[in-house]
Amino acid sequence: MEESVVTYNAFHHVAWGTTISVYFWLVGASAGSFVISSFGWVFGLKRYKPLAMTASATAIVMLLIVPILLTWDLGKPVRFIYLLIPGYWHSTGPMAWGTLLICTYPMSMMVYSYFVIKNDPTFARITGIVAIVLALSTHWYTGVVMELNPGRFLNHTALAPLLFLTGAFISGIGLMNVVVWVRNFFLPEEKKIDWALIHEMAQFMMYGIVFDIFLLYLDFMQTTYGNQNEVMGHDVVLMQVFRFPYLWLELVIGLIIPLILLTTPLKRSKSVAILASLLVAVGVYGMRVWWVMGGQYLQSFY
Amino acid sequence: MGNQEIQPKIPRSYGLQTPGSKGVAGKKRYAMVIDLRKCIGCMSCSIACKTEYGLPLGVWRTWVKVVDKGKYPNTKRVFMPRLCNHCDYPVCVRNCPTQATYKHEDGFVLQRYNRCIGCRTCMVACPYNARHLLPEKRTDDNLPRMVVDKCTFCIHRVKKGLVPSCVQACVGGARLFGDVNDPNSEVAKLVATETVTVLKPELGTSPSVYYIGADWEIMDEPHSYTNRTDQMVDEFNDFKRNHKGDAFADIIEGEPLMSEVGKNWMGFLRTIPHKAKETLHAFKIFLFD
Amino acid sequence: MPEICRRQFLAASGALAAAAALPTPAAAMELELGGKNFHQLRTYQARMRSHFTCTLCPYYDGGFSYAENGRIQKTEGNPDHVASRGKFCAKGLASFLGAYDPDRILTPLKRVGPRGAGKWKEISWEDAIAEVAAKVGEALAEPDAIVVNEGGFTDGPAARFLDTVGSRSLLRSCTAGLGGGAKQSALKGMLGSAFILPDMEHSKYVLNFGCNILETALPLAQRLTDGVVNNRLKLVTFDVRLSNTAGRSNEWVPVFPGSDGVIALAMCRHILEKGLADNDFIATWTNTTAEKLLAELQPYTVESASAQSGVPAKTIQRLAVEFAKNHPATVISMNGVSRRKSGLEAERACLMLAVITGNIENEGGCCLPRQYDIGVPQPAPKRRDPTPPPLNHAFPFQVITGMRKVKVLINHRSNPVYSAPAASVWKDALKDEKLIPFLVDFTPFMSETAEFADLILPDVVGVERHDLVSSPTALWPWASISLPTVKPLGQARDVRETLKKIVESLDPEGQKGMKAFWAFANAKQWVEQACNATPGLEGHYKKLTVKGFWPDYGKVDPANRQVIKDGEPLVAPYGLHKAKGFATSTGKIQLTTPQLQANPRHENLKPGEFVLTTYKVAYHVLSMTSNLKYLSEIWHSNPLWINKESAKALGIRDGDLVRVSSPVGYLVTKVSATNAIHPQVAGLATSAGRTSYGRVAQADPELIAPYAQPLLVDEDIVDNVWWRDKGVNPNEIIPIAAVTQNGEQAWNDTVVSIAPAQSGDVHGAIHVDNAKHIAIFKQLMG
Ligand SMILES: Nc1nc2c(c(=O)[nH]1)N[C@H]1C(S)=C(S)[C@@H](COP(=O)(O)OP(=O)(O)OC[C@H]3O[C@@H](n4cnc5c(=O)[nH]c(N)nc54)[C@H](O)[C@@H]3O)O[C@H]1N2
Ligand SMILES: Nc1nc2c(c(=O)[nH]1)N[C@H]1C(S)=C(S)[C@@H](COP(=O)(O)OP(=O)(O)OC[C@H]3O[C@@H](n4cnc5c(=O)[nH]c(N)nc54)[C@H](O)[C@@H]3O)O[C@H]1N2
Ligand code: SF4
Ligand code: SF4
Ligand code: SF4
Ligand code: SF4
Ligand code: SF4
Ligand SMILES: [Mo]
Repeated sequence: MEESVVTYNAFHHVAWGTTISVYFWLVGASAGSFVISSFGWVFGLKRYKPLAMTASATAIVMLLIVPILLTWDLGKPVRFIYLLIPGYWHSTGPMAWGTLLICTYPMSMMVYSYFVIKNDPTFARITGIVAIVLALSTHWYTGVVMELNPGRFLNHTALAPLLFLTGAFISGIGLMNVVVWVRNFFLPEEKKIDWALIHEMAQFMMYGIVFDIFLLYLDFMQTTYGNQNEVMGHDVVLMQVFRFPYLWLELVIGLIIPLILLTTPLKRSKSVAILASLLVAVGVYGMRVWWVMGGQYLQSFY
Repeated sequence: MGNQEIQPKIPRSYGLQTPGSKGVAGKKRYAMVIDLRKCIGCMSCSIACKTEYGLPLGVWRTWVKVVDKGKYPNTKRVFMPRLCNHCDYPVCVRNCPTQATYKHEDGFVLQRYNRCIGCRTCMVACPYNARHLLPEKRTDDNLPRMVVDKCTFCIHRVKKGLVPSCVQACVGGARLFGDVNDPNSEVAKLVATETVTVLKPELGTSPSVYYIGADWEIMDEPHSYTNRTDQMVDEFNDFKRNHKGDAFADIIEGEPLMSEVGKNWMGFLRTIPHKAKETLHAFKIFLFD
Repeated sequence: MPEICRRQFLAASGALAAAAALPTPAAAMELELGGKNFHQLRTYQARMRSHFTCTLCPYYDGGFSYAENGRIQKTEGNPDHVASRGKFCAKGLASFLGAYDPDRILTPLKRVGPRGAGKWKEISWEDAIAEVAAKVGEALAEPDAIVVNEGGFTDGPAARFLDTVGSRSLLRSCTAGLGGGAKQSALKGMLGSAFILPDMEHSKYVLNFGCNILETALPLAQRLTDGVVNNRLKLVTFDVRLSNTAGRSNEWVPVFPGSDGVIALAMCRHILEKGLADNDFIATWTNTTAEKLLAELQPYTVESASAQSGVPAKTIQRLAVEFAKNHPATVISMNGVSRRKSGLEAERACLMLAVITGNIENEGGCCLPRQYDIGVPQPAPKRRDPTPPPLNHAFPFQVITGMRKVKVLINHRSNPVYSAPAASVWKDALKDEKLIPFLVDFTPFMSETAEFADLILPDVVGVERHDLVSSPTALWPWASISLPTVKPLGQARDVRETLKKIVESLDPEGQKGMKAFWAFANAKQWVEQACNATPGLEGHYKKLTVKGFWPDYGKVDPANRQVIKDGEPLVAPYGLHKAKGFATSTGKIQLTTPQLQANPRHENLKPGEFVLTTYKVAYHVLSMTSNLKYLSEIWHSNPLWINKESAKALGIRDGDLVRVSSPVGYLVTKVSATNAIHPQVAGLATSAGRTSYGRVAQADPELIAPYAQPLLVDEDIVDNVWWRDKGVNPNEIIPIAAVTQNGEQAWNDTVVSIAPAQSGDVHGAIHVDNAKHIAIFKQLMG
C-alpha cells in the first residue's frame, strides 16, 4: 500500500468515561441481585426466600449511587430535571427511556421490599414482577444505549443488551454472594444464610458464565470476521489498548478462572465459591470498561 | 486555447456517486460542497469559525486533516476539511434525550444550549466527531459552557443572507454553500454534475456535506489511528493530559491502562466541588429569582 | 502539449472549471460573501463595521473589522477588494486577538535591575518621553550613533525620525518586504522595478522556484487556485522539501539546495537551443539577442545542472519544453532561491526564463507591479540614506568588534534576538550596556528583543492603527486603509504620535528645524497627509474612507472572482512597458548571463551532514503571531524534518531526540522522519521555540508576566491551553552569511550534522559559542 501519514488532525475527547462504566456495572449488579431476590417471592422457589431482603437491599443500594453518579457526570447537573419534564422528553432517545427506568426501578424495588417485610406474598409477587421487568429493562437499556450508535462499531451489535444482561446476572450473583458472606460474619447464627444456598447461587452463576463466554465468542466471531473497522476494533482496541480489562480482567479473571473453580471438585469449598463470586463481580467491571471506553477509543482519532 | 473558450457542460460522473438531496421537496436543504482540488490547507476556515464563535481552545467546529501520501520523491499532500455533516438522518438527534439537538426544516442540525444537559449522548452517537463539550472556562462567559456544541452551518449568518463564516474565508474557494433543493444553486449543480462523496456513507446518515475529489483512504476512520506520526501521538497525549474536557475517558498512550482509568476517576472527583457550587447557584436562582 | 496528469485532468473536467471559463458570470452565489457580521446568538443588530487592512505581512489584504461593545470581535476580507477579494489568511483572521492578548504591554515600562532580567516598572508617558529625548539629545552631536532597527515593511516614521535627527543609521536586521533584498536587487537591475506580479489567474503553466506561495502569499495563492480551474494551469514546484505548495503541485521536483539557478539557466539554454524562445521579444525588449545569449549560456548544460541538483536531465529538458510551449506561463521565485550566497544571480536566472519566452507584462505572464507609492506627510526631512548599507544585519557583530558606535538604539517592529540568524550574538550585543548604552523598543509585546530594552513604549496594534498602504498584488493598483473604531487599549500610543512627542521635546521651540517635520496632529492626520503626498491619491482620502480602498473598480463576483464593472468583466491592462519602456537605463530588460558556481561545501556533504532549511508556515508570521491562541493551537512546535531513508541510515526513528550541530553550536530537538524532504536536507520551521512573548507562545499557561494587565485575563488561555511542546528556534545556530553581491541576509546555506541526542540532552536545549559566530563574521569580512 502507498505510504501515507497523518501529520495534522484535530483532537477529541472520549465522551463517556469511568463514571459511565461504573454506572453500567452498578446497574448490572443491581439488576442481577434483584433477580435473585425475586426467586423466592416471584418464582415461588421457597428456598431462596431468606436471600430476598439481602438481595433487594444490595440492589437498592447499588442503584441509589447511580443517579448521583449520573447527575454529577452531566455538564449541567441541575438540568437532570429536564429528563423528567414531559415537554423535553424525547421518545427516540434510549437515554430518555433509561431515565424513566432508573427512576421507577428503585421505587418498585422499595415497594416490593415493603411487601416482603410485611410478608404479603400476593403483593410481593405482583410488585416483584413489575420490579423484575424494570430491573431487566434498566439493564437492557444500558446495552441499547451503547448499541444504537452505528458509528461505534464495537458497540453496534444486537448482542449488546444480551451481553449486558448476562453480565448483570453473573455479577449480581457474585456481588450478592459476597454481601451474604460478609453479612454472615455479623449476624447471629439463626439469621445466617445457609451456605448451601450460596453454593446453589454459584451454580447459577456458572451457567451464566458459560452463556457469557458463548456470547463473547459470537462477538469475537463478528469482530474478527467483520469489516475493517470491526477487525481494527478487535486487534487494536481489545487486544492492545484494552487488553487488560478485556482479556485479563473480563475473560481470564472474571470468566475462565471462576469457571474452572466452579466446575471442578474445588467448588465444594466455601472460600472457592466466594472467591469465584468475587472474581466474577470484578471481572464484569472489566467488560464495562472496554465496552464503554474502548468502544469510543478508535473514533477519538478520527 | 484561451480561457474564454466555452467548454461543454456535460454531466460527468466516474464511479460511485452519492445521491443528492434526500430533503423534502419544496423545502430548503442547505448543504456544503467542499472541492478538495481547490483546498490549499490554509486553515482560514478553521480560524474564521473559531473567531466567529469565540470558540474555546481544544474544541473545533471545523478542522483540516493533513496527510502526506507517497514515498519520496513522489510525495503529495492531501487536505481534508471536516465539520458537522448536518445529516439527514442524524444519529445525534435521534439519541438526544431532551430534544436539545434537532433537525431544522431547512436542513440544519442545531443545538438548543438552554435545553442541553451536557450528557454527551450525542457525542457518543455522532460518527464524525463533529460535537464537543464546551469547557467550563471561556473568554466570554456569557456564552454557553458545559453544554454540547457543534457546527451550526452558521444559521445566524445564513438567515441574514450571508454564507457561513468558513465559506466566506475559504482562500482556495473550495467551500461552497447553498440550497441543494434549488436546482439553480451552485451546490445543486455541483452535486448533480460532479463525482461527490460523503463521509461514511455506509452508516446511512445521509450527510449534507459533499466532497469533490476526496481520497478514500483519508476519509477512512482507522487510517487516522494507524498512520500517525510520532508528533501526533505526543500532541494527542498532551491534549489529553492538559485539556480539561470533563470527559474522564481519555487514555494516554503508553501509560498503563488501569492507572489511566484510576486517574479518570480522580478527575471526576475533582470536578465535584465546582459542580456542587454551580448546582447550588442554579438552585438559588431557581428558588429565589 | 504537456503531459496532463490525472489531477489536472480531473480539475479540467470539472463543472466548476467549465462554469468559471464562461465569459459572463454563472449564477452567482445565492448568499452574500460578507460585509456584515452578527453575534452568534443575538442577530437583531449587525456589529459595527470598520475598514481594516492587515499589515502582518507585506501583502496588505484589505478587509473589515467588526466591533461590539467596544471590542473587536472579528476581522475578514472585503469581498470587493480587488486584491483580497474577501479573503484573509489564518493570521489575518486571528490578528485582532493581539489587541486583547493578556500578555500585551499597555503602559510604558522601564527596566529595573540588570538588562534582560525581566524586571520592569510602569512609568508615565511624560517620564518615558523625557528620558528618550534626553538620551537622543545627548547623542545629537554624533547623530550616526542614533540607530533605528526597523522591521515594518515600509520605512515610515522610524526612518523619518532618523532623518529628522540627522542620522544615517537605518538598519533592517531582518530584511523585510516583498521578495526580499536579493530578489529586489535582481529585479531592479533587470526590469527596473523591484517586484513582479505573477498573473497566475490567467497562466497555463507556473514554474515555481523556492516560493511557498500557498503558505506565504495568500492573495497570490487564491489566484493560483483560480488558474487551476480556469486554465488547467500546471504548477511545477522546485523545493527542497514538501511545502504545502509543493504538496499541491502537479509536480514537486526536489532539488539539492542552491541549485535552482543552474537549473533555470540550463532550461534557458535548452529552450534557446530548441528554438522555442521568443526571439522577437528578446530582440525588441532586451539589450541582447537570442544568439548572444545562447553563446553565453554554453557552460550551463542540462547535464551539469542535473549533476548539481540531482534532478534527472530528462526532467529538466521536459519541463523546459513544457514551459516554453505553454504560453502564457509564469515563473515565481522567492526565499528558497534568494536567501543564499548565490541568491542574486540565481534570481536573475529564474527571471531569465520568463524573459526569453516572452512572458513579461502579458496576460498570464510576469507582470510589472501595479501599485501606489505611498508618500509621507510633507514637509519631510531629506532622506539621508535611502538604501540600507550592505551587511546591516551584521549590526551586533559590528558593535561587538568595535566597527560601529552606538549611543541610542531604537527598535521598531523587529525582533532580531529571535528572528535574525546569529540570534545569540544579538543577545550578547544588546545585553552589554557599554556597547549599546540605551535601547528603546516600540512594541506592544514583550519580544525576545524587548527583553533587553531599557525602555518599552507600547505601540498600538493593527486594529487600533490608522494606516494607508498599497501592495502590488492585483492587476490594478489599489490603496487601502485601516480606520480603527476602537480606542487603543490602556495607554498604548501610536508610534507616530510618540515620535512626534519625542521630537517636540528635543526641539520645543522649533529652532532646530525638527519640529516642522512632525506637524501632523495625530496618526489619523499622518494618514491623510500621506494620502495627499501619494502620486495618484491626492485628495482622495475621503473616498478611501468610504469603501476602505480606492479606486473602486467594480464588484468582485464571488462565483468566479472576476471584477465586474457595469455588468462586464473588467479587462486588465497589459503591456505597460510598451508605452514608456522598462525603468532601466536603456528602457529595455538588462539581460546578462548570471555567473553561478556550484557550492563546494554542499557537494561534499559527509554522512550525517545536511543542509539546514528554515522556512515559514502558513499559520504564523515570523515572531509576531505566536501568542495568538488560535494560531498557536494549530501550529506550535517544529520537529526537525529529515528524510525517512536518511534517518534510517543514521539509526534515527520518528520522534527520536537528536542533536543538530552547526559550526557554532547545537540544538536538541525531535525528529520527524518523513517522505516530504530531500535526503540531504534538514528542515526546521521558524516561528517556534519562543523564549518570550507570552504564555501562549511559550506553551505555559501558568506563566504570568509582571506587566500583564488584569484587565485582559482570558480564562480560555488560563484553563484551556493544552499543548506543551513549543519547539525550538533555529536562528541561534545559524551563522551569519550574506548574498555575495549585495550583502543581504542568506540563511539557507548552513550545513549541520545530525546525530542522536546524548544523555542529558533535553528537547529544546540550545548551546552556542558566540566566539565561533564572531570568527565566522571575521572570515566573512575577509
Ligand atoms: N505565513 C507567512 N507568510 C509570510 C510571512 C510569514 O512570516 N508567514 N512572511 C512574509 C515575508 S516577510 C516573506 S520574505 C515571504 C517569504 O515567502 P517564501 O519565500 O515563500 O517563504 P520561505 O519559507 O522563506 O521560503 C520558501 C521555500 O524555500 C524553500 N527552499 C529552501 N532552500 C531552497 C532551495 O535551495 N531551492 C528551492 N527551490 N527551495 C528552497 C523552503 O523549503 C521554503 O518552502 O513570506 C511572506 N508571507
Ligand atoms: N532562520 C530564518 N530566519 C528568518 C527567516 C527564515 O526564513 N529563516 N525569515 C526572515 C524574514 S523573510 C523576515 S521578513 C524576518 C522577520 O523578522 P522581523 O523583521 O524581526 O519580524 P518579526 O520576527 O515578525 O518581529 C516583529 C516584532 O514586532 C513587534 N510587533 C508585533 N506587532 C506589532 C505592532 O503592532 N506594532 C509594533 N510597533 N510592533 C509590533 C513584536 O515585538 C515582534 O516580535 O525574519 C527573518 N528570519
Ligand atoms: S455529523 Fe454528527 S453531529 Fe452532525 S448531524 Fe451528523 S450525527 Fe449529528
Ligand atoms: S449533551 Fe445535550 S444535545 Fe447532547 S444528547 Fe445530551 S442533552 Fe442532547
Ligand atoms: S458552517 Fe459555520 S459553524 Fe460550521 S464550520 Fe463553517 S464557520 Fe463553523
Ligand atoms: S479555507 Fe478553504 S482552502 Fe483553506 S483549508 Fe479551509 S477549505 Fe481548504
Ligand atoms: S496574507 Fe495574511 S497576513 Fe498577509 S496581509 Fe493577507 S491576511 Fe494579512
Ligand atoms: Mo521577509
